[in-house]
Parts: sequence; C-alpha cells; structure tokens
Amino acid sequence: MTTSIHDPAGPLAEGAVQLAPAAPALVGGRIGVLDNGKPNARLLLLTAAEGLAARIGGEVVKVTGKGAPGNNAATACESQVLESLSKEVRIVLTGSAD
Amino acid sequence: MGDNAPMSEGLHEIEDQSPEALYAFLAEREWGDGLPVVAPTEERVSAMLAGLDPDEVLAVLPPRGGSATRRAVAVNAVMAGCPPEVFPVVATAVRALGQQRLNLRGVNATTHPVSPLVIVHGDAVDEMGFNAEVGAFGPGNRANATVGRAVRLVLLHVAGARPGPGDAATQGQPSKYAYCTAENQAASPWEPYHHSVGVDAPSAVTVHCGENPHNFHDMESDDIERILDKAASAMATFGVNNACISGGEWFIGLCPEHAATADRAGWGRDDVAAYLFEHARRPAWEFREQFDLLAWAPWMREAADDDLLPMTEEVGNIRVFVTGGAGKHSCVIPSWGMTRSITLPVEG
Repeated sequence: MTTSIHDPAGPLAEGAVQLAPAAPALVGGRIGVLDNGKPNARLLLLTAAEGLAARIGGEVVKVTGKGAPGNNAATACESQVLESLSKEVRIVLTGSAD
Repeated sequence: MGDNAPMSEGLHEIEDQSPEALYAFLAEREWGDGLPVVAPTEERVSAMLAGLDPDEVLAVLPPRGGSATRRAVAVNAVMAGCPPEVFPVVATAVRALGQQRLNLRGVNATTHPVSPLVIVHGDAVDEMGFNAEVGAFGPGNRANATVGRAVRLVLLHVAGARPGPGDAATQGQPSKYAYCTAENQAASPWEPYHHSVGVDAPSAVTVHCGENPHNFHDMESDDIERILDKAASAMATFGVNNACISGGEWFIGLCPEHAATADRAGWGRDDVAAYLFEHARRPAWEFREQFDLLAWAPWMREAADDDLLPMTEEVGNIRVFVTGGAGKHSCVIPSWGMTRSITLPVEG
C-alpha cells in the first residue's frame, strides 16, 4: 500500500545564493586573489594565479585578505572587499582548505 | 520503489513504510543519517505540528540556504522518532542555529569536528521526559536521543550539511548523530543556567557548537581546587581549537557530586569559571611555538613569552552547568572557536 510522506529538505529560502555563471573565456582576464586565511593560502593561491595569468595572457592585479579581524578562515569576507574585487577583477582565486 | 517523484509540492509517494523502502527513498536522494527512520506521513507530521503555523520560517540554514519552516523541522522530528511533546525543544534549537552569532555556515564548513550540543534547562526537562541524571549524554532516553537526532537531520536535510559537500569535518565525531543533554537542576546548587545568562523563562534551550565531551574524573577529593585542577589540565591542551582561537567558549558539565563539593566550599559557578580561567593556562611561548596562526585577543598578543595565558580570552567564556548522576566524572566541552552559544526560551 503506497504512502505519502513529507519532504525533509523543505524549500530553499528566497534569495538563496546561486553560483555565478561560468566565464565564457578567460583570455586576458584580470585576476585577483582572495586569501581566505588558511595557512599558506596566499602562497598557494598567488602561485596558481600567476600560473593562470601566464597561460591566458592575463594579469594578477589584486591580492587581498577578507578584511575581517584576524582574517580568520571561519569568518565571512567583508562586503566592501567583495565589492572592490567585483569591480577590479574578472577572476578570483580563493578557498584553500587544510 | 518505482518512481519516487514528488506527488505535489513537498510530498512523495513510497510503496510502503518498511525500513527497506524508506532506506531506498533516502539513499536515492543522499538523505538520512544512515539509521532507520520513521516515515514522515501527513498524519505524524500534523501531530508534531500540533496546530501551529507550518509555514513559519524558524531559521534559514546554510550552506544550502534551506528554509527551516516549522513543517520541515517537524518532518525531521518525525523521522528522528521524536514524540510530539518534545517538538518545542527541537524548534527552539533550530531557531538558535539560525542566529548569526552561532555561525552555522562556519560550523558546517570547517574541517574541525564540531556538533551543535543541545542543553535543555528548566521545567521542560521533567515535563518532556529528558534525562539529566545518570547517562545524560548517553543512550537509553527517547527525548535526549531523538531531539539530538532531529537537530542533526535538520542539518543534513534543510541545511544541506551532508559530509563532503556540506560538512567538511575531516573525521566527524560520534556526537554528529545526536548531541543532547539536560541540566540536572534538582542536583545543582546554583540557579538554572539559563537564568545566569539572562533568559528568565520556565524552560530554555542552549546550543553550543563544540567537540565531544572530554571527561575528567576525581574520585577522592573533598577539595574543589584539586578537582578543578583536573578540569584545567583537560582544558590546557593544544589539540583543541580554543588553543589558537581565544574567543572560543568552554562548557563545563559538572556532575552533581563535584558541584556539591564546590558548593560546600562556598563556590558559585562564577567562582568555578574564575578558577579555571586562572589555572587552565600555558606559557605564551608554548602557544607561539605550536601555532603559526593565533587568532588571539590583542592583550594576549602583547604577552611576554613567559606569561601564562588562559585557554580563552575572558572568564565569561567559561560556562558551567550541572548534568549527570551519581559518580565523580565531569567533562569539559571545547568550542570550535568562531561560534557563540545561544540560549533561548522554549517556544514552539
């Protein structure tokens, strides 16, 4: 005998964040690095960004932390840092883990 | 099972309520905690809701950005096996999870093993059948077990905190199945914990995102300082996040006998916290030797190498409550660090 059961996940909140669409092409892009505060994140991300810039003919134009006190990996990035990045660069590398 | 497509918004049709059918339904969607669940039928969910507004959003939970409507929370409470009378505690815990200061996004995103611990205070403990006595953290009591599990199922389903994409904990920890205890007010010499933090209600819920309990025991002492020296030694370890993040809290779960020893010495919970703040310390140079990154309060950064530094930046971060039964085992519960405990009055 069939049974109806409720969905345990429920709805998404209005305004839930969606991933940005993928860039159609990276050639010549202005690249930024957002250090998320994990150990060696800046070194790893900057190295990768410089490698990417060399491959696509781009340029690393901005390297920044999240702006939060202590720039801790567990704290959110300050909105003005995100706004600045969105205006100045087309590609951002971020999110090194342990 | 056949096709389990939703019949209408929020409803699915399954062939039957057998454990096998429910396992298959959950597995198909990467849901569940790996244990059998109770089928969240319309009748059971309706009983859990007890006539309250099913569409009220109790919290929005990251990383998925799911709306924890009262209905969605009730569905998970049914699946966890909750009796309807404990649902207000589950709902209150979910409200706490949604508070920004708790930082649920970080709690779910971190590789650190951290679980929301639900502590029930006040009249709800006895009225709803929670166990605050022997085995208060352990199995065998329906209210403790199912409330803790319901909160985890809400995290898995509504918040999307599935190990891997939604919960990055390297090893996880057993308390990620269920983590709920209750304050043993009858055996506590002090005012209820929730009153001590300014929540003046008959019943309350605290959510503290932390590690599993770290036990300390002292079977012999009539001297509270000698007992708390064991707690201090359990705290002053470099393996916990509190060692490198000074803003983290510590919850100290004293057993009734240790609490009674403190009371006989004329100590209140603030005295216990102050003692631990002063004695759970290590030299600054040891911290500096162990960590490249120290999220310390400014005053700690200025310490000389030989200065003894505490395991948290202020005494108010050490929070004491009484739980458990006979015996002389207590525990310290480290925090993850970048989170604050939340205490709320119980509301449906």
